[in-house]
Amino acid sequence: MKQFSKTLLSIGTALAILGSAAAVQAETIKIALAGPSTGPVAQYGDMQKIGVMAAIDDINKAGGVNGMQLEGVIYDDACDPKQAVAVANKIVNDGITHVVGHLCSSSTEPAADVYEEEGVLMITAASTSPSITEKGHQLIFRTIGLDSLQGSMAADYIANTVKPKTLAIIHDKQQYGEGLAQTVKDGLEAKGISAVMFEGVTPGDKDFSALIAKLKKENVDFVYYGGYHPELGLILRQSAEKSFNAQFMGPEGIVNADLAKIAGDATEGVLATAPKSFDQNPENKARVEAITAKGEDPSGPFVFTAYAAVQVMSDAIKAVGDTDPAKLADYIRKNEFDTSIGKVTYDEKGDLTESTFLVYSLHKDGSKTPAAQ
Amino acid sequence: MSEASLYFLQQLINGLTIGSTYALIAIGYTMVYGIIGMINFAHGEIYMIGSYISFIVIAGLLGMGMVALPVILVIALVIAVFTASTYGWAVERVAYRPLRGSNRLIPLISAIGMSIFLQNYVVLAQGSRDVALAPQISGSWTFGDPQLFEVSLSYMQLLIWVVTVVCMTALTLFISRSRMGRACRACSEDQGMTNLLGIDTNRTIAMTFVIGAALAAVAGLLLGLYYGVVNPFVGFIAGLKAFTAAVLGGIGSIPGAMLGGLILGVTEALTSAYFPSEYKDVVSFGLLILILLFRPSGLLGKPEVEKV
Repeated sequence: MKQFSKTLLSIGTALAILGSAAAVQAETIKIALAGPSTGPVAQYGDMQKIGVMAAIDDINKAGGVNGMQLEGVIYDDACDPKQAVAVANKIVNDGITHVVGHLCSSSTEPAADVYEEEGVLMITAASTSPSITEKGHQLIFRTIGLDSLQGSMAADYIANTVKPKTLAIIHDKQQYGEGLAQTVKDGLEAKGISAVMFEGVTPGDKDFSALIAKLKKENVDFVYYGGYHPELGLILRQSAEKSFNAQFMGPEGIVNADLAKIAGDATEGVLATAPKSFDQNPENKARVEAITAKGEDPSGPFVFTAYAAVQVMSDAIKAVGDTDPAKLADYIRKNEFDTSIGKVTYDEKGDLTESTFLVYSLHKDGSKTPAAQ
Repeated sequence: MSEASLYFLQQLINGLTIGSTYALIAIGYTMVYGIIGMINFAHGEIYMIGSYISFIVIAGLLGMGMVALPVILVIALVIAVFTASTYGWAVERVAYRPLRGSNRLIPLISAIGMSIFLQNYVVLAQGSRDVALAPQISGSWTFGDPQLFEVSLSYMQLLIWVVTVVCMTALTLFISRSRMGRACRACSEDQGMTNLLGIDTNRTIAMTFVIGAALAAVAGLLLGLYYGVVNPFVGFIAGLKAFTAAVLGGIGSIPGAMLGGLILGVTEALTSAYFPSEYKDVVSFGLLILILLFRPSGLLGKPEVEKV
């Protein structure tokens, strides 16, 4: 009986959707929102949804795009690459030619292949893996920076702002941490700065006293750490106990309130590259208020990148006067957009030309403020 | 002293501190092996539970506004040792005693099961994230030339040494002098005969689990204070290292566990000191293989005599 009523319900829903779609087809431009609404990372999917829906509301209230209203259609890929391909095919079959998504890089990559082949414009607001835009696709864009940009950004900051006398680079021997540490090392070497130490620690280790004694012996005054907060927290704490007072810096992986819990006062002044907090931007004040008024959280890292993805699409449609994905892609590549994440321009691959990361200074209460440039 | 020798001294201090704690945990492995010839794989988890309990007690007492640190530490120590001992006893009761006399592999598997169970039980109860405690004992002695290299010995490191030496001495006296200790030694020589002579072997075996767990709880408290963080997975790595120390020194031998712990700790520190830190584990485990090649029963272990 339960099964039966479920079937009835879904038939009813399907009919209702069909009916409404048919009724408003002429006046709306559909934007598919693909991402996880179920599964272990559903909260990130929610951030994306909050941003997209807020953008669609704002644009519709301001009169829509060329007299037409935008309509968001939600698809769930559960952050599963197989389901992502199925969702991509469904979007194509449903005749939608504009997608914001997907969220997880592992889902975005196979889905992007489908969209490129079927002529659908896709902008991801969350996937940072470089390989997505490395296949020469024409219709695939992002509104978020690449992970690897953090390394070169840190190298620039170290060389131009910190100018340390003796530099050491430590990493956790993992893909993320060592990869970033290597990018920083290469970036600094290109500027003629070499590190006295480039060493790995074992994730899960608790004792770093031998490493700290070594850093102290080499008179190191700046340490870049590629890795996550648990190990760096202990290194900071033990450094303070051994009165080793170098400046530390790390990637987004250390920006976590737990760092301050582990390292306590030693967290004060640690530098880190992290995505900009767009909800703090004064230009986004009205948008933040509108989202908060709906009872939703505007502070997630993907809310405003998703908002910007819708803005890029609608601005392009307005300017081109057409919804043809190939024409839009061409326009997006050649023009500048004023969005909730600032001025946005694209390179040939479809990546942002400017990083969405910023160097922050961390504090012992777990907060962060932009570091002095 | 020159810079090089000051640096060596600092690394030796670091190594002896890590080694002391390895030794404290290694005792639990070696005692259980000595008496029933089996490895207690849940021992690392007992250490982790000891650490959690002492964290909870210290945070609780501080939260209640208590300020006298020595009193807080003694209360934490007593509660942690008592709770961990209960867990140690329960592990023996649940995973070993019902399987006494069966194939040696079976209790081994049940102990691994116990270890996984305890780890996940703590994950469920406490969450899998790091729990941190603010530094309680800070400050250190520094000596050496500030121009060259300043050696520091923190009060916490000294406390670890002192507590380790006291525990080891007490344990050695207990095993060699007390009635219970004599029963332990008798059990490890010949369980059947000991039983025939009217000694409750089940009780004696339970006692060794309890003593091992109590020492692991002491290590849990000390290391918790020293590093300031604990998570449900610390027991695995600490257990692995302590087990290595026990094998290195000769499993089944109590002085061997102490020696093995110190050698492992000092080797790790000196390797990190003069080679890239990545090689730390390569060198210390390479050393283990070498020692076992030339002395298969470990440094102080008795060669196993084939019983006919």
